[in-house]
Amino acid sequence: MLKFDVVVVGAGGAGMMAALSASEKNNLKVAVLSKIFPTRSHTGAAQGGINAAMGYRDSTDSPEKHFRDTVKGSDFLADQDAVEFFTSGMPDMISELDYYGVPFSRDEKGQVAQRPFGGASSPRTCYSADKTGHVILHALYEQCLKNHVQFLNEWFLLSLVVEDGKFEGLVAMDIRDGKIHPIQAKSVVIASGGFGRIYWSRTTNAINMTGDGTAACFEAGIPLKDPEFIQFHPTGLAQTGVLLSEACRGEGGYLINKDGERFMARYAPEKMELGPRDLVSRSIETEIKEGRGFGEGMTSYVLMDLRHLGEKKIMERLPQVRELALEFEGVDLIKEPVPIRPSCHYTMGGIHVSDYKTCSTPIEGIHAAGECCSVSIHGANRLGGNSVADVVFFGKYAGLGAKESAMRRSFGRTEKLEQEANAWKTKFKTIREKTTGVSMFSIRNRLAETMWNYVGIFRTESEMAQALATVDELIEEYKDAYAGDASVKYNMAFINYVEIGNILKLARAVAMGALNRRESRGSHSRGDYPTRNDEQFLKHTLIYKDGENYRLEYAPVTITNYQPEERKY
Amino acid sequence: MEMMTVKIKRFDGRNSYYQKYEVPYEKGKTILWLLTTIREEQDPTLNFTSACRHAICGSCAVQINGNAFLACNTPLDDVLDTYKTMNLTFEPLKNFEVIKDLVIVWEPKMEKMTKVKPWIIPGEEGSKEIGFLQSEEDFQQIAAPTDCILCGVCASECNQLAVNQDGYLEPFILNKAYRYIVDTRDGAPEQHLKPVLENDLWKCLHCMQCVSQCPKTIPLTDQIAFLRSATMAMGELDNQGAKHAYAFHDDVKNKGRLNETMLPIKTDGLVQTALTKIPFALRMVKKGKINPLHMPKQISGIQEVRKLYEYAEEVKS
Repeated sequence: MLKFDVVVVGAGGAGMMAALSASEKNNLKVAVLSKIFPTRSHTGAAQGGINAAMGYRDSTDSPEKHFRDTVKGSDFLADQDAVEFFTSGMPDMISELDYYGVPFSRDEKGQVAQRPFGGASSPRTCYSADKTGHVILHALYEQCLKNHVQFLNEWFLLSLVVEDGKFEGLVAMDIRDGKIHPIQAKSVVIASGGFGRIYWSRTTNAINMTGDGTAACFEAGIPLKDPEFIQFHPTGLAQTGVLLSEACRGEGGYLINKDGERFMARYAPEKMELGPRDLVSRSIETEIKEGRGFGEGMTSYVLMDLRHLGEKKIMERLPQVRELALEFEGVDLIKEPVPIRPSCHYTMGGIHVSDYKTCSTPIEGIHAAGECCSVSIHGANRLGGNSVADVVFFGKYAGLGAKESAMRRSFGRTEKLEQEANAWKTKFKTIREKTTGVSMFSIRNRLAETMWNYVGIFRTESEMAQALATVDELIEEYKDAYAGDASVKYNMAFINYVEIGNILKLARAVAMGALNRRESRGSHSRGDYPTRNDEQFLKHTLIYKDGENYRLEYAPVTITNYQPEERKY
Repeated sequence: MEMMTVKIKRFDGRNSYYQKYEVPYEKGKTILWLLTTIREEQDPTLNFTSACRHAICGSCAVQINGNAFLACNTPLDDVLDTYKTMNLTFEPLKNFEVIKDLVIVWEPKMEKMTKVKPWIIPGEEGSKEIGFLQSEEDFQQIAAPTDCILCGVCASECNQLAVNQDGYLEPFILNKAYRYIVDTRDGAPEQHLKPVLENDLWKCLHCMQCVSQCPKTIPLTDQIAFLRSATMAMGELDNQGAKHAYAFHDDVKNKGRLNETMLPIKTDGLVQTALTKIPFALRMVKKGKINPLHMPKQISGIQEVRKLYEYAEEVKS
């Protein structure tokens, strides 16, 4: 049986940082398991930057200010002890990344350059042009090559094995040869990314962001914290959900409905298209809901019109945006408007991390970092530039935590691991041999449509209750899902089948958390409860899975320095 | 409805064959849309890799009608227009081991990449605690090469690699070496450069295929030229490549034109040329391709040519 001291699941920014810190200066056997080749990970898609109060651009900036901004941005749902730990450690993290060779843009003094970002009271976002996540991901991969980190690429996590509340190992498939392995380990770091794909085509997320690690933890008995908080971006391309930069609105683009109206006049008569992200998102969806959009169902859209800016201005100021629309939507926005619609961008909630310093969870031996989990530093809404910061920072501490766990713990028993692996082997065989049933892609698409329409940008009691019922029906249908590939080697249809099972599980928790949070806070916006209600809901949602049943609990938010106040910008 | 005929090379680990799919044409789509549509609507057994679908993760490069493209940011209409056809043939990238259908294996390439130490060897001025200082100008040197997304398009297009997998380095590996050689934070550029020279650096054919297909328009061939100059600046002159370059350099400077008869002798030495090139040269003579007795004379206007050399020296310094 395969045996490692520490297994890291996921090879993005958090996973590779965890592997580097877990394997530094010791003889622990560490492996990184990833369903895709490491440099394909979604960390690479982060463009804008990484927040750290270096004080280079603005000498009055401080970790304290970063702390305050993050708490305010979170709509006071973040745990303040964790946020303070994070913001005070970030400046050192940037120096460490610099030392790892990350090519940061520079200021005139040769220091790491910083730019202003939404919700930040000082310009503290360090960056590398518009590819910050990409260069960090590649530099971390280089460091892993240098340090001989062992990768199990194109291996897929199937489940975590826990006995008596303690982690014993995991079951995973080597996609290339189709073999299912029990893997014994003393500790694990889950760093498998978010689950924006519950909305399938309406997300900026990569196609593989199906929350596999989050679902495995959920199944293993760890609650999901605050899953209802999902960040949306107003201007995704209509066909693919790919992000069209905020710069379009910044440079004066018009949002137009089917009747040719600049409909923002109805919602934000003064600011028009320059209103805040959530308001613009809600306005677009209202237009579509009320029949003033183009197209139908999941392919509905409104138009972003830039033609009045003229070719010269577009070419000077928005050349990359034009390129993007041309390549991904087949539209030249000098000549015609581009179809857009909001798109799910980030999941604030996830695996319940119960100790921020070691990123450990309620189950001994299981640690988590990055978008798959909730520490929580983002609370109800994440600030731009805090996500890449989160992955590298907590990735490091999760690695150190897992190292400590591994040094403290010994290998457990193997019976349950073997059993679990055998159960998966049977399941794989059953799915391969199945020749009829409900199309899994149809289940996936209907889930996305339900989540988008009823647990999306704005939410009401009756619609969410309807959504929950539909998700339950889909979970039933999934039992008869048909994947369509009989082969053993590289059976991506089977992988997709498991992924769809994962997003179904997670979507149900999102709907349940959202239905029960009868207030509006951060990204969670309810038509029937339009204001924040601290008295009843200044608390974390925790959803447990007991077999088929979901159980809802709440946990207090840690407040140290900042008492909740109205969130105004 | 207009139909496209899409032929895809399938491979199941043992056998390979071409499979045909008929797909209704739609305007304004991408190549990735085409592959995804086939997989989800016709054949869930078809395998290819993709992730981000906006040209940053590098997963989805494939060959279409013999050239490599990133599927997600290549408009279908552009491809149909370029090849003037509704028939497309998909194959996995060339010069890679194939695992299934269009899926290729990357680990051997990464193993090979470690030859050039593809990581920073930190200079003494920096530390983990305070990082480095680097000027904006020096950052610009590494801006383009760090655009590389390791998609493999350049390696698939490389004609030297097609005949010399073991000896030659993939253009993306050369790019990685270049990236650290010019990074002012790196304390040991020669440790990245030496292995590049030792792995047939001079064998690039200048076919320009890598640079013309690179989805990130990284100036790969300029980098190769830079790497060659850098090895010569390091004093690595006693090799076939450097001697060949100097033969051109000296002939043109002296006479204004190349002496093709002398070129192999200057590059490989008399003995090596006699051993390897004489039968070939005799065939060329017989067909009237070369005249061994012809010694090119100095061209008129040689002074102007030499001025170009002086100018080049000036620009370099």
